[in-house]
Amino acid sequence: MRKVMIVDDSVSMRQMVGYTLRQGGFEVIEAEHGQDAMDKLQGSAVDLIITDLNMPVMDGITLIENVRKQPNMKSKPILMLTTEGLATKKEQGKAAGATGWIVKPFDPEKLLQTVAKVLP
Amino acid sequence: MKIDLSQFRQIFLIESEDHVASMEAGLLALRSAPDDIELLNGIFRSAHSIKGGAGSFGMTSLVRFTHSLESLLDRLRTSEMQATDLVIDILLRSVDQLRYLLSAGADAEMPLDALELNEQIDGLTPSDSALAEVAPEETRLAVLDEREIRLYTVEFRPDRNLFSSGTNPIVLLRNLAALGTVSCCHLHTEDLPLLADLDPAQCYLSWTVELASLCAEAELREVFEFVDHLAEINIQCVDPSRHPDSAPATVTGTPGTLAARPASNRSPVAAQTKSIAKKTDSNGESGSIRVAISKVDRLIDLVGELVIAHVMTAQMVESFEPSCLPKLREAVAAMERNTRELHERVMGIRMLPVGTLFQRYTRTVYDIAQVTGKQMRLEMSGEETEIDKSMLELLGDPLIHLVRNAADHGIETPEVREAAGKAEEGVISLRAFHRSGRIVIEISDDGAGIDTEKVRIKAIQRGLIGPDSELDDEQLRMLIFEPGFSTCEKISDLSGRGVGMDVVRRNVQQLHGTVALDSERGIGSTVSIELPLTLAILEGLLVRVGDRTLVLPLLSVIETVPLRNEQIVRVAEQGEVVVIREESIPLLRLSRFLGLAPETASTDRASEKAGNRRLAVIVEAGKRKIGLVVDELLGQQQVVVKSLERHLRKVDGLMGATILGDGCVAPIVDVGGLAALNLFATQPTFKVSQQHVPSALSARAV
Repeated sequence: MRKVMIVDDSVSMRQMVGYTLRQGGFEVIEAEHGQDAMDKLQGSAVDLIITDLNMPVMDGITLIENVRKQPNMKSKPILMLTTEGLATKKEQGKAAGATGWIVKPFDPEKLLQTVAKVLP
Repeated sequence: MKIDLSQFRQIFLIESEDHVASMEAGLLALRSAPDDIELLNGIFRSAHSIKGGAGSFGMTSLVRFTHSLESLLDRLRTSEMQATDLVIDILLRSVDQLRYLLSAGADAEMPLDALELNEQIDGLTPSDSALAEVAPEETRLAVLDEREIRLYTVEFRPDRNLFSSGTNPIVLLRNLAALGTVSCCHLHTEDLPLLADLDPAQCYLSWTVELASLCAEAELREVFEFVDHLAEINIQCVDPSRHPDSAPATVTGTPGTLAARPASNRSPVAAQTKSIAKKTDSNGESGSIRVAISKVDRLIDLVGELVIAHVMTAQMVESFEPSCLPKLREAVAAMERNTRELHERVMGIRMLPVGTLFQRYTRTVYDIAQVTGKQMRLEMSGEETEIDKSMLELLGDPLIHLVRNAADHGIETPEVREAAGKAEEGVISLRAFHRSGRIVIEISDDGAGIDTEKVRIKAIQRGLIGPDSELDDEQLRMLIFEPGFSTCEKISDLSGRGVGMDVVRRNVQQLHGTVALDSERGIGSTVSIELPLTLAILEGLLVRVGDRTLVLPLLSVIETVPLRNEQIVRVAEQGEVVVIREESIPLLRLSRFLGLAPETASTDRASEKAGNRRLAVIVEAGKRKIGLVVDELLGQQQVVVKSLERHLRKVDGLMGATILGDGCVAPIVDVGGLAALNLFATQPTFKVSQQHVPSALSARAV
């Protein structure tokens, strides 16, 4: 089963994305913030990361930059969870190496479609 | 596949409550550190999370409101604006609106106050407000009216660094192919270097795909939504003559349009979740509790151990031999240990730190300071002290009243304080701690203290005491807990809301707690609320009265004395007092409370002759002592308090019942309530009943 990591400091958002992904047949790993995600990525790669951008301890942009430095995650897709109106953030994310984005609030079906768009 | 996210609404609401509380705490802290970026970031994140979640549940007003709030906060944290007192005040008021909007449910209209605040905020952040207008607008994708097959040529020329974004071009091509039938796919390899020069992390390939599809060009372009900055994409409709307008008109493949596109999905989602949200509304939002995973894990462990102990016992019982007895004892002991721990842990689940409650009052004090022009701060200690969740909820109102009282009536204006030689800033402190198996919450202020002379005059006016009653200061102070008492000359909208200290006392008594007041003129006042640890379980003293078994809460028992006839003094009509160490304690015959055959001094004598001397259990009800007459002490044990009210109407003087080991139901006496029933027939003198014996010093002779 393919593994997706969802990184968000909001429990409800994590659970909603996680639930949607599980319904879509994915294995889900949750992380609270960038640092937590980095810790959980030690030794085990995932097939996709979906990350929020605004988080305590380590934000999403830094996470994306760090993930891209990790050899086993260099070319794995990363989707940002963004709210509309924050175009600059989106650009920063792209520059850091994000593959794409999902707009909050998300439509579950659309989220799975977006995931399919980036996962081989 | 329909995926329903409404089940997460509850979690979102609980989480948002936390966010709102931490925003509030953050904003209050921001007053003394307006440049603290970490604080601002935290506040921003909270608003951001609320907004992100609110959209998922169709809470559109909340989304709109948090959107402008977020813009303002963003400006603060990027130092484009200063967190002045005015800004903080607006933000604090916004926090109130957030609370309202969160509680109001999905289709709530934005209240006027919120609209006003929104305008104020937008006034502070002019450019960003335009975004708010844009957001809800629907940008619809051009949909083809006629489902006709078109032929497209799609050129996809990725940049060298395409892989750095984690994009797999094969996935894109596959997604494109899924939109129609591919008639031809050219792979362009002319950029490929010699193997020696090839960097596997770079993309040297490009593709041209010919595709027959029913989809509009925008849909094709959407496949490349995420790579428009990393690739050159050309899409051509091969047979444009059949649709002269379509190609240039609908092909607005600029990143801007594409980025705005998901906004069009909002409406259907909102409508869908809205209807579901309504259903979940009725489930009641206060009924949930959050428990640390470690607590649950320990419970699961314990249940596991209990199951093992049970299996062991069951096996031994199956093939029982006398030699098994020690083992059986051991197994039963293990079960008992586990059960007791399980008991405690399950109770522990209901325990929450009082800090969550205390936190709110910082705001209360701040608001009062704003309105009255006084200077004061709230200090807290013992926030980690845990207390039963239901008690925490019931304590909210009495505490807010006491805090308001301290801030409004207790703390003086800076001028008065200065004249009295005190610091201009008054201090209200909230403390929570454990004392002999109970929880104590203290609210104290370093204000003016209670003017007992004013209290006396007021009490006489209100007819609470006669003009010539002789009461000492403590008794006078206790009068403020009487119904219909308020010493403030003018009723302010802060504390004089018609809820008096009597309500505070009543609420605390409902929680089987007591209230005490200590005050000194010019120094300040302290109100202490003493509560049992939990309402669900208590240490009980089992007593026999006639043929009934009753449970007395052990915490209120001071001592037990054999009742000798010469100790009993009859006062006036039928009231009886027992004199113990020169202290007169009113006697209450429990048989009378239970409606059993009346016992009197003569029946006492009869039973005494028969060798069954009755006993008086001296209990503490608030600050007064009463002696409960019982026939026998049966023992001491932990009892689980079960509510009677589901089965019977409320019985005054009983807090509930418990089920004893033999399956019998035993009522549990509510000592405070029993004393209030006044079954003594005559009132004991005030003086005597006010004598206070500190419970810590009392000998619980059982």
